[in-house]
Amino acid sequence: MDYRDTAQEAAFRAELRAWFGQNIPPGWRDVIEDPAGRTEFRKQWHRTLHKAGYVAMSWPVEYGGRGLSPIFDAILGEETARADAPPLPGNVNFLGRAMWTHGTEEQKKRFLPMLLTGDAVWCQGFSEPEAGSDIAGLRTRAVLEGDEWVVNGQKMWTSGAHAADWCLLLVRTDPDKPKHKGISCLLTPMNVPGIEARPIYLANGEPETSEVFFDNVRIPRENMLGHRGGGWSIAMTTLAYERGPGDTGFVPKYQATLRRLEELAAERGRLADPAVRPALATAYIKGEALRLTVLEQLSLRVSGQLAGEEGSIAKLLWADAEQSIQHLAIELLGPDVWLGRAPQRLSAYLSSRPVSVYGGSSQIQKNILAQRVLRMPRA
Amino acid sequence: MLALLTDEQRMLRDVVRGAAAEMGLSSADLAGADRGRGWAELSAIGVPGLRLRGATGAPAASGVEVMIAAEELGSRLVPLPYLGAAILPVELLALAGAPARVVGPLADGSTRASVLLSADLGTFAARPDEGGFGWDCADAGFALGLVPAAAGWTLARYGVTEVEPLEAADLTRTVAGIAVGERLEEYPLDQDGVDRWLALALTAASADIVGAMRGALAGAVDYSKDRVQFGVPVGSFQAVQHMCAEALVRVEGAASTVKYAAWGVDELAVPEALLAARTGKAYASAAARDVLETVMQVYGGIGQTWEHLAHVYLRRAMLSAQVLGDERHQLAEISHARLGGR
Repeated sequence: MDYRDTAQEAAFRAELRAWFGQNIPPGWRDVIEDPAGRTEFRKQWHRTLHKAGYVAMSWPVEYGGRGLSPIFDAILGEETARADAPPLPGNVNFLGRAMWTHGTEEQKKRFLPMLLTGDAVWCQGFSEPEAGSDIAGLRTRAVLEGDEWVVNGQKMWTSGAHAADWCLLLVRTDPDKPKHKGISCLLTPMNVPGIEARPIYLANGEPETSEVFFDNVRIPRENMLGHRGGGWSIAMTTLAYERGPGDTGFVPKYQATLRRLEELAAERGRLADPAVRPALATAYIKGEALRLTVLEQLSLRVSGQLAGEEGSIAKLLWADAEQSIQHLAIELLGPDVWLGRAPQRLSAYLSSRPVSVYGGSSQIQKNILAQRVLRMPRA
Repeated sequence: MLALLTDEQRMLRDVVRGAAAEMGLSSADLAGADRGRGWAELSAIGVPGLRLRGATGAPAASGVEVMIAAEELGSRLVPLPYLGAAILPVELLALAGAPARVVGPLADGSTRASVLLSADLGTFAARPDEGGFGWDCADAGFALGLVPAAAGWTLARYGVTEVEPLEAADLTRTVAGIAVGERLEEYPLDQDGVDRWLALALTAASADIVGAMRGALAGAVDYSKDRVQFGVPVGSFQAVQHMCAEALVRVEGAASTVKYAAWGVDELAVPEALLAARTGKAYASAAARDVLETVMQVYGGIGQTWEHLAHVYLRRAMLSAQVLGDERHQLAEISHARLGGR
């Protein structure tokens, strides 16, 4: 047990700090504010990171990664937040694992390189209007006609769909089989006829995600990932990896938010309020509990013990920490939040609400913990 | 970075777990229980002497081993004074460089001692020459007090002249007013030493709370699988499942902060070690009441009775939460550490 960086980790961290010091594009926030420039900027940043060797650190070397432990991904996330650098490409590790675990040799050769370099942007077509928490109830159909799958249906919450080149799409291929066993996974190009992506505007007024319509979309048969009927296990096993707060760089962002709130409370003279200091300290201990839980789960991953269902603990700590700190933020600012004088704070507050919904709602996480970790009986 | 127990630490956990299963409580009726049962075995495992310094000056075991022992013994409500009357006084004496003739008998379990605390157990006794209060101090043969000195502190060792047990909530530990005689010896101790001791003591109390929460929650979850109402186990109801899941999240959140604090006792610089220990104590203390109330609720009516262990867990954890400062106290200290006097 050692919570400090190893010599190799410390060297990597130092290297990253130096590199970020030289390479962060000035004014990048303004560039991604504009939806038109956002996609191109993200691709460009992905390429820059890849050239520097900062994409897919934990991928096996044979697939173009650096073969390092996932701790290095976590360090990259931490240093990205510390340097206030543009966001890392979000789903590269998760998609990569799905492809090298389940893909054919041809699929690996075709898809892994462009995932690495950022030449292809991916989205994930999982949820549907009628398949939210009950995602295995998805209805988007794929029917085999000759050498093509013909897809019809609708996906929801497909983040980044409008900018994506490809979609990891879950479809129902075998409606007569039990619902978990009739699902398959298609590697779907987004530029084919019959696909339409429309933005979904969330409560803060931003088009943060999308819905996607499929109307007789024809996908070559060889684009199936894994075997027919194997889509559910691909989605679940790969989701268990690399989708927690540790992989999203949430912890360092949270710590930065807390620092800003501490400054804000001091500037506004709110530290004299006897309720404010304990509230800020509570935000700190919640952040620590999350940081340290994430680190333990990462350590399990490093030692080859996949933290599966226990990942729900981190998700629940994450949702609670983020929603509590946003409550604290709006309390510190008082009426300004609601009178249009702090629009970013209002937006940040509203953005904290879906944290307990996306990636599995808090209620689903509790079901998972009760039934699969505590082994309580199903109803 | 790697936050996993070593193989040796897992072995210690298994050994203590086995011992705790034998010497733990099975009923709240302590009147007839042999409180001394198991002390020899615990001493043989080496629990009282975990922090004894060896020839190199390094402790026999790190804060992590203390955490492991405290969690495992706490989870079974073991009613023996291994923390307050052994590990904590050994640590304080060792930090002050006391000789082996004083520390040795504590570490091998043949003598017990108590650190003199304030009436609310929140800090050191202000005037230890006049006595103080002891936590987990059953059969303390001598007492230790901290007296301000020109540079830092003086650790004074006293004979115990009178012990007046309080009717404290915790049924498994002795809390008592302690009257003392003349100072037997004095050892100098600097502020860093005091803070190091605080880091270990806070962590040990927090680990006790984590253990109590773990043990109690495991029992409640087991019960919910067996208890049938409306023709089904009550643990199949989502309302019950979500209560237990929420409790699990709190327990694991607490455990992760306490594990870091336990590692930090020996590995972090003093201010960071103390901040980590206060973080664990604040988190565990806040979780204790919620989690143990959930446990009592899951047991339903039977969980409200004197004979049931649920309230014994609650009592123990809530008293441990008071030791060296409860959640409120720790949050104030954390706030001071982060914001200073602003």
